[in-house]
Amino acid sequence: MNNMIWLIRREFWENRAIWLLPAIIAGLLVVAGIFGGVHIGPNEMHVGPGDMQPNSDHSMPDSRVIGGVALFAFSIVFLGIMSIYSAWYLLDCLYADRKDRSILFWKSLPLTDTETVLSKLAVGLLIIPLVYFVIADLTTLAMAFIISIRASSWVGNSLWQPDIWLQLQVYWLYLIVTLALWLLPVAGWLMLVSAVATRAVILWSFLPPLALYLGERWVFGTHAVGAILTDRLLTGYPTTAFHASGDGGGIFSAIVHDGRADAGAEAARSVWTYINPAGFFASPATWIGIGVGVGLIVATIQVRSRRSEI
Amino acid sequence: MPALIEARDLTKKFGSHVAVDHANFTIESGRIVGLIGPNGAGKTTALRALLGLTTYGGHLRVLGREPLRERADLMRDACFIADVAVLPGWLRVDQAIDFVAGIHPRFRRARAVELLAKTQIRNGSRMRELSKGMKTQVHLALTMAIDAKLFVLDEPTIGLDLLARRSFYDALVEDYMDETRTIVVTTHQVEEVENLLTDVMFIDKGRIVLDSSLEDIAKRYAAVVVNAADLEAARALGAFFERRTLGKTVLYFENVDLAKLSTLGEVLTPTVSDLFVAKLSGSAV
Repeated sequence: MNNMIWLIRREFWENRAIWLLPAIIAGLLVVAGIFGGVHIGPNEMHVGPGDMQPNSDHSMPDSRVIGGVALFAFSIVFLGIMSIYSAWYLLDCLYADRKDRSILFWKSLPLTDTETVLSKLAVGLLIIPLVYFVIADLTTLAMAFIISIRASSWVGNSLWQPDIWLQLQVYWLYLIVTLALWLLPVAGWLMLVSAVATRAVILWSFLPPLALYLGERWVFGTHAVGAILTDRLLTGYPTTAFHASGDGGGIFSAIVHDGRADAGAEAARSVWTYINPAGFFASPATWIGIGVGVGLIVATIQVRSRRSEI
Repeated sequence: MPALIEARDLTKKFGSHVAVDHANFTIESGRIVGLIGPNGAGKTTALRALLGLTTYGGHLRVLGREPLRERADLMRDACFIADVAVLPGWLRVDQAIDFVAGIHPRFRRARAVELLAKTQIRNGSRMRELSKGMKTQVHLALTMAIDAKLFVLDEPTIGLDLLARRSFYDALVEDYMDETRTIVVTTHQVEEVENLLTDVMFIDKGRIVLDSSLEDIAKRYAAVVVNAADLEAARALGAFFERRTLGKTVLYFENVDLAKLSTLGEVLTPTVSDLFVAKLSGSAV
């Protein structure tokens, strides 16, 4: 455990972007919130110097909805950037120290390759999302506060929505845990590439799956590989980890849509009913993914400890 | 007491290329062993096997452990500098000390700090800001602060200037070496290390061609400088290598009758460098 803590600390030293990137985005959002004109949602309202009125062609929007939308929109920004950064981190993490030959230093220390690989996996799948979660959280709090004050002439202080905020905490934590498990095979693949490739890790990360996909289509005329990839990367997760919503919009429209339609607290609270942990953990797809992921990570550890060339 | 390092039929192939070819050797504790060979002879590969950095064939035990399977364990008692300037550019000097102190049970922080205090290196510097010589000093300070039984160095001074090289070896011998430690160093620059070694191993094309302590070398090997007139007589004694110099010829012998040799000309004890050239120049007489 002690070694793990040091290895994770080491990752923060090496990859300062883990916290710098979200901190910069947070800073920009807060600065924009303080000084800029900010659009929240498609047409709901416009906050800017000298313009503190809702758009004329709309009736007075429910401030709850705006608050929910704001909180949610910030989360989505962070989530998108985090996914890209995390994928890049996993792809680079075992390659970087081979490229600069510092692997010869790290391997001279009494650390097993299992510890090394697992520490990097933990950073990529759990620690980075947690860092983004904390920073996004602080940002949304700051933004809710700022907008409440700036727009207080007509929305009062009601932009601060404790129950929606609390829901987002649960939503984020649920997302972090379930996505980490769901994407374990993807993370395992990226790390294996990172441990094997001697150059062009990005190319190696998608060329073999692409070749497999095209090969299958040409030789057998089927597209099982494509279906598996699409399911794992796009469609599978939301349908496994969440209940489908009535209008098919899923979790992403939960707050916005239901909130707007009913304009009421009961509807907004319905976010709770969208998460589906029982379904997620009962789904064979979840466990097959975990199995494949574990296999790829074991392979990564083997490559890391046994490969002869750097 | 079992040997510190024990290799039997140690073999490593890369495809069809045999980098280490059934090498057999043992290294006892308290020695400073030079693993010497030309470029591409298999030195680095052999060392990587000792350190658990590569797969290998044959039997290999280092400090009683199987290096590849038990590398992390082995690194509690052994340490190595496998190349110059491999500390990553982003790492700060104080971070490096913190990290090794955090995970290495035998690391003495005060010792590292003391060693670094003798240099011009600042604690907050990142490795990328340091010269190659300074990076090596940091690495050496980190490594020498580890209370290890075995210290392995692979071409530790490549790319360093003469001053940095000299101070590197001085620090190694004066500040580090004692009877509880063993040092294995590879180099292709024999002259640089021959004065500090207790043992030498020559490796050529993956094979160990000489494995001897320096005392034994003095007993086993002799060279004689002869005039042309005595050349045939000297050759008759079975020289394994000869070299022409200034009108005379130097012939190298193994296990030869010194009394007979001294009747032919001036008898010398070959230096490690001489022997290296003699042994590795290939063809015998």
